[in-house]
Amino acid sequence: MSKLKLSGVSKAYGATLALRRGDLELMAGEVHVLMGSNGSGKSTLCKIIAGSVRPDGGKILVDDQPVTISGPRSARAHGIGIFYQELSLAARRSVEENISLGKLPVKSRVFIDRSELRQRAARYIGLFDGVCGEGFSADTLVGNLRPDQRQLVEIMKALASEAPLLIFDEPTSALDRAQVERFFEILRDLKRRGRGIIFISHRMDEIKAIGDRVTIIRDGETITTLNLDDTDPAAVIRLMVGGAGDMPASQSSVPAVVEGKGGAALTVRDLSGRGFRNVSFEVGRGEILGFGGLHGQGQSAVLRAIFGAGSIASGEILIGDSRFDAANPRDAIRRGCAYVSGDRSRDGVISGRPIIENVTPIHYLRDRLLIARPGKLRDRVAPALESMHTKFASLFHPIGSLSGGNQQKVIIARWLIDRPDVLLLDDPTKGIDLSAKADLFALIRQLAAEGLGIVLYSSEDAELLGNANRILVFNGGSVSRELTGADRTRYNLYQAAYEAA
Amino acid sequence: MAETATVPTYRRTGGIGRLLERYPFLPALVIVAALLLLNGFFSPNSLTLRALTGLLSTYMALILLAIAQTYVVYAGDIDLSAGAILSLVNVAIVVLMERWGGGAGAVFLALAIGLLLGLACGLVNGLVVAALRLQAIVATFATSIFFTGFALYVLPVAGTPAPALFWRTYGGRLFGVPFVFYILAALVILVAVMSRTRLVTQLLAVGDDQQAAYQTGLPVITTRIKGYVLCGLFSALAAFCITGDTASGDPLVGGKMTLYSVAAVVLGGSALSGGWGTVVGSLLGALTIGLINSVVFFMGTPSEWQNFVQGLAILLVLMAGVLAGRRARS
Repeated sequence: MSKLKLSGVSKAYGATLALRRGDLELMAGEVHVLMGSNGSGKSTLCKIIAGSVRPDGGKILVDDQPVTISGPRSARAHGIGIFYQELSLAARRSVEENISLGKLPVKSRVFIDRSELRQRAARYIGLFDGVCGEGFSADTLVGNLRPDQRQLVEIMKALASEAPLLIFDEPTSALDRAQVERFFEILRDLKRRGRGIIFISHRMDEIKAIGDRVTIIRDGETITTLNLDDTDPAAVIRLMVGGAGDMPASQSSVPAVVEGKGGAALTVRDLSGRGFRNVSFEVGRGEILGFGGLHGQGQSAVLRAIFGAGSIASGEILIGDSRFDAANPRDAIRRGCAYVSGDRSRDGVISGRPIIENVTPIHYLRDRLLIARPGKLRDRVAPALESMHTKFASLFHPIGSLSGGNQQKVIIARWLIDRPDVLLLDDPTKGIDLSAKADLFALIRQLAAEGLGIVLYSSEDAELLGNANRILVFNGGSVSRELTGADRTRYNLYQAAYEAA
Repeated sequence: MAETATVPTYRRTGGIGRLLERYPFLPALVIVAALLLLNGFFSPNSLTLRALTGLLSTYMALILLAIAQTYVVYAGDIDLSAGAILSLVNVAIVVLMERWGGGAGAVFLALAIGLLLGLACGLVNGLVVAALRLQAIVATFATSIFFTGFALYVLPVAGTPAPALFWRTYGGRLFGVPFVFYILAALVILVAVMSRTRLVTQLLAVGDDQQAAYQTGLPVITTRIKGYVLCGLFSALAAFCITGDTASGDPLVGGKMTLYSVAAVVLGGSALSGGWGTVVGSLLGALTIGLINSVVFFMGTPSEWQNFVQGLAILLVLMAGVLAGRRARS
């Protein structure tokens, strides 16, 4: 018996068809993976099931009964719980309040039952005992937590709905491996207890690890549903991208790298600051240096510090042969340092503004432009965007009209108009789809071949193994191991990350 | 408004920061204490029980109005009609008490009707803002004109006196203790009880991130309406106090008080964007405004300069609160 069945569900926003024909059948006791590139309609489909988006057409059956889901409350009443990709937390409420926010326990009908609230929170926090990280407790305000901890709270909140049918829309994007493993144990347990789970992730290894069946969505249409045991990643990706099968091999673990061209592009000596200490490394021109390790071990902090956005207590940074200590990002940009963050909404996108304005801020700064003509700018902007295969309607559409992957391409393109010497990539592929990732890495390799020094921090091991010449594994704020040549194996990376962690 | 409410990531708070997080009204408390000292410095008499009683009975209405405003601000809304509701209830109860003879029964009946009137006004605001989704600032500005019009219809000219029984009780003593202190005590209990309700947490969650609250399955519209209804009820209570203090009806008495109530909420450490604040803070914020006015008076500021000094003082206090919060957080 199917727990949930969708047939022919559609949703349009104005003229854009977000979902053309969504079909999905979810059984009890299965983890059903939804796959599709960004903007293919996965999240829309999930939101329709969860009631936060009203469909224009189609049928929804819960336990073989046709239902109308009129809103999130009605979805809850039908036994549907959801983890939202963009999270649905109240930042200034405590962890325990957030976990139960959907159904606050009450006594005497109007007062919050604090002891029940606490007990309930303890139950779900306990599931993640030992992997929550420091500073995590039931009465911490959610806004004071790290991104991975917030993601855990959203997971706990979804679990606390105790719904027979759970949707997880990219629940692992900020989590480290230990957290993911614990989460998967919990999912397996839920599966055994007959819950139906819809799961979205862009990480192939996770999908193989947890999924039973996969439904592939492309351009708002359900293509097919397959048993994951009967298929392989390459086939799934082919179905996802459709006819365009010319994917570069960047997702494979073959370390196809450009040899160093000699001369250091970036040298860091004994750098210490908030979140990291005694970090030393050298990046040659044409080299891609990988930063690996568990999430939040100082990788981002080092990159931000070099870019002038973090704190440096002591140490030395050189770009080329000249001393480089940027007081602020503005200074760093002027002197040829580029930084791309995976947290687009915080560090990259100028929301609500046209694409052209999102591509040009660095150009304005480096060329000290005061007045510019859009026509001239267009000629400079177009090649940068084209080199990334960015899809957009026109330069004057707002950046928000693009999918996550295309937004990130725009952010990267802004650095390509005036070439920097050093490119710092801080988990740049977070939450973007596989084909956008492929475009991105093709470009990164090309830039390295042109002589840029590149530092790549990625939370996905496959990206590091497939693209970096050397990998520095971070642990507790300092480099615990360097992997070069044949040492760059998944096993070594895994092991170094967990050493003394 | 949700978009502007950015929450800093990786915020590590020190000891004072954590204290502030728990008790966001602490800066307001310090400021009230400092202002009390200043008052005492300029005029030692201003710290006597008699003077403090006078201060409380004058500003009790503003305190209640600030508390009323807090509940809507919790949810990220605002009520620019709170003062007009106060005026309307003020004239309504004065006229009813007079018409019914001014006895105890008449007073209680009139007060009950005043509460209902406040509730109805709050409901109107709630429906207009939350259900019809009109902009809170403009919509409540419009209803304030409407309520004022209704108040002018009930009592076209200021001056009808309230029954002696009513204002003598308000300004008098019970078992040797001034009546306003009983009001204050009752208010503190009421506010403490309110803070434990599910509604207050829901209001704060809605104000924190309305979209998130909706997606979580909270009844966002109903919650916001309830916030406005609470505001209407507390505005009616504020009207009772102003009636007790001025002993008469005035259809325009609350007009100026609305923005004072908003200022008091902000001075008390609440975020106008919603999701963050305390009612105690608003109480202290209202007292701050009262104390500033009293300091300006006792300093012997010439009357033509009083507004100038008052405005400057409120700005200074606001700045001090912001700086204290920022310092503690860094």
